[in-house]
Amino acid sequence: MENSKQIKLSKAILEMKFMKRTKEKVEKEKEDAEGQAMYSGEITEEMRRTGNLVFISTSIVNCKNLIDGRLSFGGMNPEIEKLMANDYGIQLGEEEKRKEKDITDVEMAEGYSTVVNTVEKKFSKSNKHKFKNKKFMKPVDGPLM
Amino acid sequence: MPLKVGDFVLPGELIEDIKSIKGLTIVGPGLRQNEEKPNILCVTQPGTLRFKAPNMYWIEGKRKRYIPKKGDLVVGIVVKKSGDTLKVDIGAAEFASLSMLAFEGATKKQKPDVQVGDCVYAKLLNAHREMEPELVCIDSYYKAGKLGILPNQGFLLTISLNLTQSLLDIENPLLRSIGKKIPYEMALGVNGKVWINCKKSKEVIYLMKIFDVAERELHKDAVTVCND
Repeated sequence: MENSKQIKLSKAILEMKFMKRTKEKVEKEKEDAEGQAMYSGEITEEMRRTGNLVFISTSIVNCKNLIDGRLSFGGMNPEIEKLMANDYGIQLGEEEKRKEKDITDVEMAEGYSTVVNTVEKKFSKSNKHKFKNKKFMKPVDGPLM
Repeated sequence: MPLKVGDFVLPGELIEDIKSIKGLTIVGPGLRQNEEKPNILCVTQPGTLRFKAPNMYWIEGKRKRYIPKKGDLVVGIVVKKSGDTLKVDIGAAEFASLSMLAFEGATKKQKPDVQVGDCVYAKLLNAHREMEPELVCIDSYYKAGKLGILPNQGFLLTISLNLTQSLLDIENPLLRSIGKKIPYEMALGVNGKVWINCKKSKEVIYLMKIFDVAERELHKDAVTVCND
């Protein structure tokens, strides 16, 4: 079995009847090597051309979060209104909730962080002040008692 | 000068430093991948550049012609019936095909009763540039849901794509507030075709007028900008 890598079998041996399987194996290896050599140039070319970003195209419906267009109001088509309760009703509820929150979570977090920063600054400043005030006072040299 | 989100862009302009998640970016209408430099997007229609966190880009323009996109819910008119397939006008460049077997409960022997001239509310199964769009009236569970043939009594009109998109926005209260005054049902396709059904024909006319006014309101800002 260790023939394939180390020793190259001669053509004459491979032609022998009992070497049929080995011959197939050797031929396959040879083909693979050839194929790789042939396509390696192309692969790099392709790699050079395609970027590392994948673009998926989508419809405006997904971009703008549009709703289903089949609607019914005022009991005109009870069947549709039943179906609408599953999506339109939920979307409407979410929308109202979003409106009620006049400050979004992100804004809240940002505001909170700035408050934290200012308070922090205040403390750091006041600490410095304290240290400034607490200067080491040299004792006045005077006649000892 | 690099383009910013919210800028007015023209076809051919390039958008650099694209945001993405794990190398994935979602691109809406009006943009396509640049062929020379693959990590850059190329604008293909004039409009405003929009971005939605974390990785979605699209262009919002005043496009008149509907371009089919996979997954869109559209209203169409059956224009031709040939064998097992229907040809449906959805306002795109080409008629869409709708199989008779793509209705709920339809079999080879028992086909739905569709006539030429009927309106259907259907979903786009696939839409490529080189192929005719394909519609279905069932979801992946073989259920019709809201899709299907629209009743014969009703009225079809075409509105602009911009108005359709603004009406389909959940933040727009117009449809709900009309519903409080007038009981009505409608099928509002992303392609700009609207099918309305009311109890009285007077109310249909009333609704049509509302859409007309809404359309003018949409363009009002454009007019004021031009006047300034």
